[in-house]
Amino acid sequence: MQNKALNNLIETTPQLWKGRRVNHRQQTLSTGYARLDARLPGGGWPLGAVSEVIVRQPGLGELSLLSPVLSRIGEAGQWVVLVDPPWLPYPPALQARGIHLGRLLVVRSRNEQESLWACEQALASGRGGALMAWPERIPFSRLRRLQLAAQEHAKLAFLHRPERALEAPSPAALRLKLEPGGNRGTRVDLLKCRGSHPPDPAWIRFSEYANTPHHTSGHEPFAANAPRSLLAGRAPATPRAGSVHPRDAGTGDTGRGGRDGRAPRTDH
Amino acid sequence: MAATVERRERIIDCNPAAKACGIRPGLAVSAARAILDTLAVAERDPAAERDTLERLAAWCYQYSSQVCIPDDRDGLLLEAGASWRLFGSPQQLAQRLQRELGQLGYHTECGSAPTPEAAWLAAGQHLHISAQGRIRQQLGVLPLEQLALDTARIKAMERMGFRQLRDLLRLPRRTLTRRFGPSLPEYLDRLLGILPDPRLFYHPPEEFASRLELPAEIHACQALLFPLKRLLGELCGVLRGGDSAVQSVHISLGHEDHEDSTVQLGLQSPTQDTDRLVGVLRERLERLRLPQAVREIRLEAPHLLKLRAGQGTLFHDTSAEQRQDIEQLTERLQARLGNGAVAGITGVEDHRPEYSWRTRTLDEPARSTALAHRPAWLLPRPRRCAIQDYDILAGPERIESGWWDGRDCRRDYFVVRDPRGSLLWAFHEYKPKRGWFLHGIFA
Repeated sequence: MQNKALNNLIETTPQLWKGRRVNHRQQTLSTGYARLDARLPGGGWPLGAVSEVIVRQPGLGELSLLSPVLSRIGEAGQWVVLVDPPWLPYPPALQARGIHLGRLLVVRSRNEQESLWACEQALASGRGGALMAWPERIPFSRLRRLQLAAQEHAKLAFLHRPERALEAPSPAALRLKLEPGGNRGTRVDLLKCRGSHPPDPAWIRFSEYANTPHHTSGHEPFAANAPRSLLAGRAPATPRAGSVHPRDAGTGDTGRGGRDGRAPRTDH
Repeated sequence: MAATVERRERIIDCNPAAKACGIRPGLAVSAARAILDTLAVAERDPAAERDTLERLAAWCYQYSSQVCIPDDRDGLLLEAGASWRLFGSPQQLAQRLQRELGQLGYHTECGSAPTPEAAWLAAGQHLHISAQGRIRQQLGVLPLEQLALDTARIKAMERMGFRQLRDLLRLPRRTLTRRFGPSLPEYLDRLLGILPDPRLFYHPPEEFASRLELPAEIHACQALLFPLKRLLGELCGVLRGGDSAVQSVHISLGHEDHEDSTVQLGLQSPTQDTDRLVGVLRERLERLRLPQAVREIRLEAPHLLKLRAGQGTLFHDTSAEQRQDIEQLTERLQARLGNGAVAGITGVEDHRPEYSWRTRTLDEPARSTALAHRPAWLLPRPRRCAIQDYDILAGPERIESGWWDGRDCRRDYFVVRDPRGSLLWAFHEYKPKRGWFLHGIFA
């Protein structure tokens, strides 16, 4: 009898980590990427939980990663709330990714405190739907509150966080990190999965351009109309490409000397 | 400790603390003060009592479509039989009324009976009389002073040796008429249901206004939440009664010598939901600065809107529910962050990316063309860049537009990759400026 109660408790408590056994009680929504679903406990994004998406710099496919599930949420008539996106959402591109503009709410706050408050409000409103936010700094306790609100209201909560977020532990159910993965696309490292050991990374091509090899000299069709000056004087020792993230603006970011050492190109 | 006083300076009612010290209704004020010199005495305000009764009638209208405010006494009569199926037996309805009115800060005494006059007497005894035949038996033991008759007449009857209602009921009608005039037997007939007792029914108002004088000054905004909650609860009861809803509520906070502070609650859609109004109120109060302590609160809803089918909570469908949830969220966020802080977005027909979107309110439809080879994010403004630092992956796409509005531009857009692997959208501009700019992120 006691055993049964205990088992019941174990089965119904998603927070409980049970060694190697995957806890299937976690409700999930498919990510839309088979390779990722295969690695995630429960086969998708954890519903009613915070998932952290960590990128060193934007433009690695962090929104493409979420597009399929955001699209499904919109189809179901549920809302996606963006709290303080660092950039402007561009409707034609979102439309093309299947994200329902009519189910998108954008919130602009004035400071970090308000931003976190807005996140909590968004998670504590109604049932279902998703939150996307880009918190700069967020204390463990606030993160935990978001996690609880998401759980109570069956929300998907996606926090886009900078790399230094990894220095602190997190109550999030899922933590994954995107890295440029050369011609294999983007490498998705699953750093923390509640309910299982972190699985191996997955490589996903989020963009048709992702497998375009570096150094464009061989790509006449694309580059044909580009001004000559583009092709001249390439590969400076220190790229001056500035970061596009507002938080890095004005920091005089010089990148990491030279181009990334990448796998040799394999054209096809 | 407080008590209420009439013109002849007698205690009419007092709170339990005063009662514990020996103060009783009927006591002269001077005597009461002699017992307790710290007694706080409040004068009775018949106009305010009447206003309150009317508001309560409007509130009760949600439970019965036949509500009556008798002219000659302080209370309400509700027809409970017709709403039996909706709200249960009169006894269950009474419990519900008591509970909900208690939450609004009112103490109530309820009773029910098949006739209005019997119900009136039953209320004083918390009795629920289920059949007409039982009125005589259940109310017979009531002392005469409880009857809804004027005091002089009751005194006269008591002098003749009548003590209880049943003493009167035992007498033949003719005797009663001879001794006390025709109005007494008529009253008894109405009581027993022998004579019909038609009543003028109350009609709910087209607007709502309520006023609350605070027993003590309030200095902190958050402390206003509690009395305001009470007024909003009352408002919502009235709204449910009249099948109506509000979209805006006006609150005035009265100070001693300063102009009133005002708080306006605006909603995305009409509602009769207290929690929703309180949610918005909470945010408003957080940002309110009081110039002085608040002495009284007035709450007005000048337009009570008829609730259309489908708007209410009766018609649940997930999409409508979702819509309600998002409206409430929007209201809460706007109340604290400002109206401009929360919006949807929609596309605008314009080839220039920076002009091809705008914010929208939730009432407007969202539409946009779909363009697959565009980035999901645009930089708030194009940033100058040195193109030699980037790999060009695709392009150019020529965008030339805007000659008609003076903001014309000619650009070639490229998909580029920065040294750290980010996919970005850059353009080479010929007009109005020359040079390379980053404009978007393929996230």
